[in-house]
Amino acid sequence: MAVAQERDKPLRDFAWFKRESTRGSLVALGLGILALLIATVGTIAVLLGHGLTPVESIVAAFKSNEMTGVCLWSIGLGIAAAAVGWGLFSRMPTKVSREEAIAGAVLGMQAIGLGALLFWFSGGDVSKFAINYLNFDPVIPQIDAFINGAKNTVFLAFTSEFLGIILGLVLAVFTISKRAVVRAPARAYINFFRGTPLVWQLIFIGVGIPLGLGLNISTYTAAIIALSLNMGAYSAEVFRAGIQSIEKGQLEAARGLGMSYFQAMRYAVLPQAIRRVIPPLMNEFVILIKDTSLVIVLGLATGERDLMSVGNQGYANTFNGTFLIFTAIGYLAVSLPSIRIVNALERRMRSGLLGIGA
Amino acid sequence: MSEVQGNGHLMTLEDIHKWFGENHVLRGIDLSIDEGQVVVVIGPSGSGKSTLLRITNLLEEPTEGRVFFDGKEITDIRTDVNKVRTNIGIVFQSYNLFPHKTALGNIMLALQKVLKVDEDEARSRAQQELEHVGLEHKTDSYPSQLSGGQQQRVAIARALAMKPKLMLFDEVTSALDPELVKEVLDTMRRLADEGMTMLVVTHEMGFAREVGSRLIFMDDGRIVEDGIPKEIFANPSDERCRSFLSHVL
Repeated sequence: MAVAQERDKPLRDFAWFKRESTRGSLVALGLGILALLIATVGTIAVLLGHGLTPVESIVAAFKSNEMTGVCLWSIGLGIAAAAVGWGLFSRMPTKVSREEAIAGAVLGMQAIGLGALLFWFSGGDVSKFAINYLNFDPVIPQIDAFINGAKNTVFLAFTSEFLGIILGLVLAVFTISKRAVVRAPARAYINFFRGTPLVWQLIFIGVGIPLGLGLNISTYTAAIIALSLNMGAYSAEVFRAGIQSIEKGQLEAARGLGMSYFQAMRYAVLPQAIRRVIPPLMNEFVILIKDTSLVIVLGLATGERDLMSVGNQGYANTFNGTFLIFTAIGYLAVSLPSIRIVNALERRMRSGLLGIGA
Repeated sequence: MSEVQGNGHLMTLEDIHKWFGENHVLRGIDLSIDEGQVVVVIGPSGSGKSTLLRITNLLEEPTEGRVFFDGKEITDIRTDVNKVRTNIGIVFQSYNLFPHKTALGNIMLALQKVLKVDEDEARSRAQQELEHVGLEHKTDSYPSQLSGGQQQRVAIARALAMKPKLMLFDEVTSALDPELVKEVLDTMRRLADEGMTMLVVTHEMGFAREVGSRLIFMDDGRIVEDGIPKEIFANPSDERCRSFLSHVL
């Protein structure tokens, strides 16, 4: 109990910190933090000091004496931190001081690694790399296109997720039917869309069907249809697992009250199953965000392009890889918040705040 | 279909057999229950008591035999089983309350969706049933906020709200902590006193003796003893029944 209380205590005062630490452990920790700060913040400061555009100023920054200083200082301080930390940690009197010494040593080694990498990089052909991947001038006028691309990516993902979930729920109910004639088509559908590549599905629906059947669907619509059909198959499996995880007694209780099978599903089983599968469905959504990039194979018109298409178009026009760097940043900006939401939901789920405990 | 079947009994089981795969669980059950009877079924585990009970409202389909309820054959494929079940309440060992609904919501659900009662009336009927089982102060509690005994009383109220002609109890106290058993048994006792027809599978011998108007002992898929509880407890005629009672009493 005492341990638990100690851990739950939110803030420790300075006296506690002083009592638990030793001078040696603080020196190791301080050196480690300082070394890593110089390696990271120092590098950024030197780069910003020289300016990010034009590309020549980035090259100049890497070749500058300041950058060499950053490298040497972070390596030197890193070695010192590692030496003090490793030398002292086994002799530390408290748990906290031991952790501080170890953390100092590890941070120091990270600073050594980063410093060495920078040193190696600055000594090489910086200008070739910078012209290819850190050349911001041609990208900056395209920022609006990237923002529009991010909007399209989010729109494609949200629409397909929404339509896919509805389709998946219906398919899942079919797959658990006791009648083979209902089950079989749903299973065939799911197996087909899980068993063929999404790229194939996009090309077939986006190109093959409009050409072969003479249907007039726009490429953008075809992309949404293909993504939704694919998402439907995957979310069907998630829903099926959710439904089957609900105790049999729930269905029996509902049937025992005179509900039909569909009423029992609708009012007793599905509300519980859907709550249970929110985290895995959100996980599918994060995967879908990235899978929308495959619509690139359909060749979208300018305003319809998603992040990947915008980045790739820029790269193809200019042979400037910086467009690809911006594409990655765009995807992270969209998917990281989604991942955070998934994690928060899962945590709430586990603590039972969404109404369903076990 | 209009003729009255079942010889005027509320519930009749006629030569019921049930196989689970190779397992012959019920081996020819004939049983009639009349209105107002409290029929208690006892017997060793695996003797088919629960299966018998679940066949009564067709949660299990009999492999062979016919079931009559309220003058109709309910094993007839043309019978609307959902409608029949509104007249037969069932309470389970593991309560099976809907965890996403409050105590009140659990009771209102079937009233609204099955009996098509409007919301206000469903609410007042649910409220009444909760009062009936002594839980009027727990209307807005979710099942996870209730004790096992309270959950089971809500489950009883949920079944009673449908105004059934027959109540089935499937080992309803077996999952309860010992100190919570009494509140559920008291609820059932009051129900029996009010004249409800009940079929009760239980291991509570005290309840069987004092509340039951009729005792059935089952062994190996057959009804072995059928009579007045006090007489069977005092002087069981069947050897297996005698041995079972000597072990549990």
